[in-house]
Amino acid sequence: MTYRADVLIIGAGASGGVAARHLAEHGFDVVCLEQGDWPDRSAFPGARPDWELAIRKDWAMSPNVRSRPEDYPVVHDDSDIEPLMYNAVGGSMIIYAGTWPRMLPSDFRVRTMDGVADDWPIAYSDLVPYYNAIDQQIGVSGLAGDPAYPPHDDYPLPPLPLGAAGRRVAEGHNRLGWHWWPEPNAILSAPYDGRRPCVQRGVCTSGCAEGAKASTDLTHWPKATAAGARLITGARVSRITMDPRGLATGAVWLDRSGVEHHQEADVVILAANAIGTARLLLLSADDRHCPDGLANSSGLVGRRLMMHPFSVVTGWWDDQVEGWQGHFGASITSYQFYETDPDRGFVRGAKWALSPVGGPLNHILPMRAGNEVWGPDHHELMGRTFGRGASWAIFGEDLPEESNRVDLDPERTDSHGIPAPRVSYRISDHSRRLMAFQEARAEESLRASRCRETAVASMIPYSGWHLMGTARMGNDSASSVVNTRQQAHDVPNLYIADASVFVTSSGVNPTCTITALALRTADLLVQHRSEQKVPA
Amino acid sequence: MTTPTSPAPTADIDIHRLTALADVMLPAAHGMPAVSDVKAVESYLPQVLGWRKDLHQPLVRAVDALDPSLFTIDRLSALHEEDEDAYVALTTAVAACYYLSPVVRELIGYPGQAAKTYDPFAYTEWVAEGLLDPVVDRGPIWREVPG
Repeated sequence: MTYRADVLIIGAGASGGVAARHLAEHGFDVVCLEQGDWPDRSAFPGARPDWELAIRKDWAMSPNVRSRPEDYPVVHDDSDIEPLMYNAVGGSMIIYAGTWPRMLPSDFRVRTMDGVADDWPIAYSDLVPYYNAIDQQIGVSGLAGDPAYPPHDDYPLPPLPLGAAGRRVAEGHNRLGWHWWPEPNAILSAPYDGRRPCVQRGVCTSGCAEGAKASTDLTHWPKATAAGARLITGARVSRITMDPRGLATGAVWLDRSGVEHHQEADVVILAANAIGTARLLLLSADDRHCPDGLANSSGLVGRRLMMHPFSVVTGWWDDQVEGWQGHFGASITSYQFYETDPDRGFVRGAKWALSPVGGPLNHILPMRAGNEVWGPDHHELMGRTFGRGASWAIFGEDLPEESNRVDLDPERTDSHGIPAPRVSYRISDHSRRLMAFQEARAEESLRASRCRETAVASMIPYSGWHLMGTARMGNDSASSVVNTRQQAHDVPNLYIADASVFVTSSGVNPTCTITALALRTADLLVQHRSEQKVPA
Repeated sequence: MTTPTSPAPTADIDIHRLTALADVMLPAAHGMPAVSDVKAVESYLPQVLGWRKDLHQPLVRAVDALDPSLFTIDRLSALHEEDEDAYVALTTAVAACYYLSPVVRELIGYPGQAAKTYDPFAYTEWVAEGLLDPVVDRGPIWREVPG
């Protein structure tokens, strides 16, 4: 007899983990299909001597470079930014930096405030209770009172150390009269919920072996499974199945051996990131009901892909600041140039986060700012810069454009023969103006912080961590894919919990908002369970 | 996935030839030793290629393609144009071997990505000192929005 769950979640990352825990703790019978495995922290490379070699291959952020069996290729020949992700329980939280900013009130009212893009159909105030709850679940380290934000609940843990570089740049901003604040991080500054605190090793983006950096394999899945949720790893979904009434009935999935299974459910939640979710909706096209893809009567599935343009501005001091050390994560942040100033020639802005620079290989084979230098000058360069720098990591707001999109590649497939997603994406002229302004201001910041020299790595292609917008939220089914509950307009028992639903991108790291939205979606599903349409 | 691995065999790589190339890339200068001075290639190449097996064949190509007696930094740049994988393998392997040397690490002051302890409540000192006061005193910078 076929087993039918109350809820099937596809993807065990940030949004899937949060939704699974909440639903299971409220009595739902939850099954989750995850194409990756449970992360093995003993295999994380950060404390090993080969760390800087590993992050260029087996621990690369690009699934195309890693090429593990659980990864699927992302075709990006026609994209200015390379999409980055990680497939495992915990998802891309395994390799994210762990910075934990909320979006701002103006981020939800971009059309009203600045005359571009669209307003969200929900407001900042709708998310505040969920931001507060998620901060507690995750264990966020930070300091309340940041004047860049409306007042909100304090964080559960004190802020992580400023470090020598953070202190110097904070003083530099005080000299300039510019904003700075200790960055809130989803990284523990003290023991919390059975987890150990950060040890400042500076390797956050290749997995936190300490377990100090939050990811849902630590923060949510143990509680979800304790509450009865069932998590199946090595399970790659090929399509969502439908009944004649237009309701989702579950999903077809392939195990590691390629054997096909079908998981039935009353409700399906997609939580596979803005590329994976769009891919699955397009793969689930049905000649009779949805020839252009599931939930795609608006034609917007896969369109409006947003990836923050990302620049790094590095400054170097005359003396050592142990620039390889610290959380990565960020020590301090600045919103000085976040909100719109029309005199700048563009609208919206960017968030800055001050980060370590990495070890010796990252200096001589730079993935960010700097050049390769060989011969006698190599040693002069290393002597002048190594351990003496810090970087402003700058995320600019990316406005949505329908031409930036995900579709299915006609040739390439994953290891199961399922068509790979293809990304077509261009950084706009508006973004280029915005980023050029921010880069120049960041150099001013570092000079005011007494740096001897600075370098800019402008709009780095290898930076597509933040994937958003391919199934936008809205009230009108003709111009959006999901409603304010993140329920598909076309399929009332299909929900999308990940950043596909973002209407605009903001200029902040999205995981905090992704998880707050996922918690809200799960909470509304609980509240409205009695009226939920389900298959017969 | 990378895990602690055994050293890889390097019999098909001419270690002396690679070391000669590496000494051009990282010669003795500015108080730092050359690659051969710290025996970086012979000491660490098997381990580096054990960790990064994907570098092996392109490295063989790079060593075969470059004549140490004629090798210059300009020739290295030309390799980048001719065979990018070979260039990446050569530069990555040479740099990794060199910076694994304890002598080199000591000279640049790099102990590796070490664990550190700290007082999570030390922030109260710089808050009390007034470091944030100018930021707070300027007041809110977020924009009120309708709705």
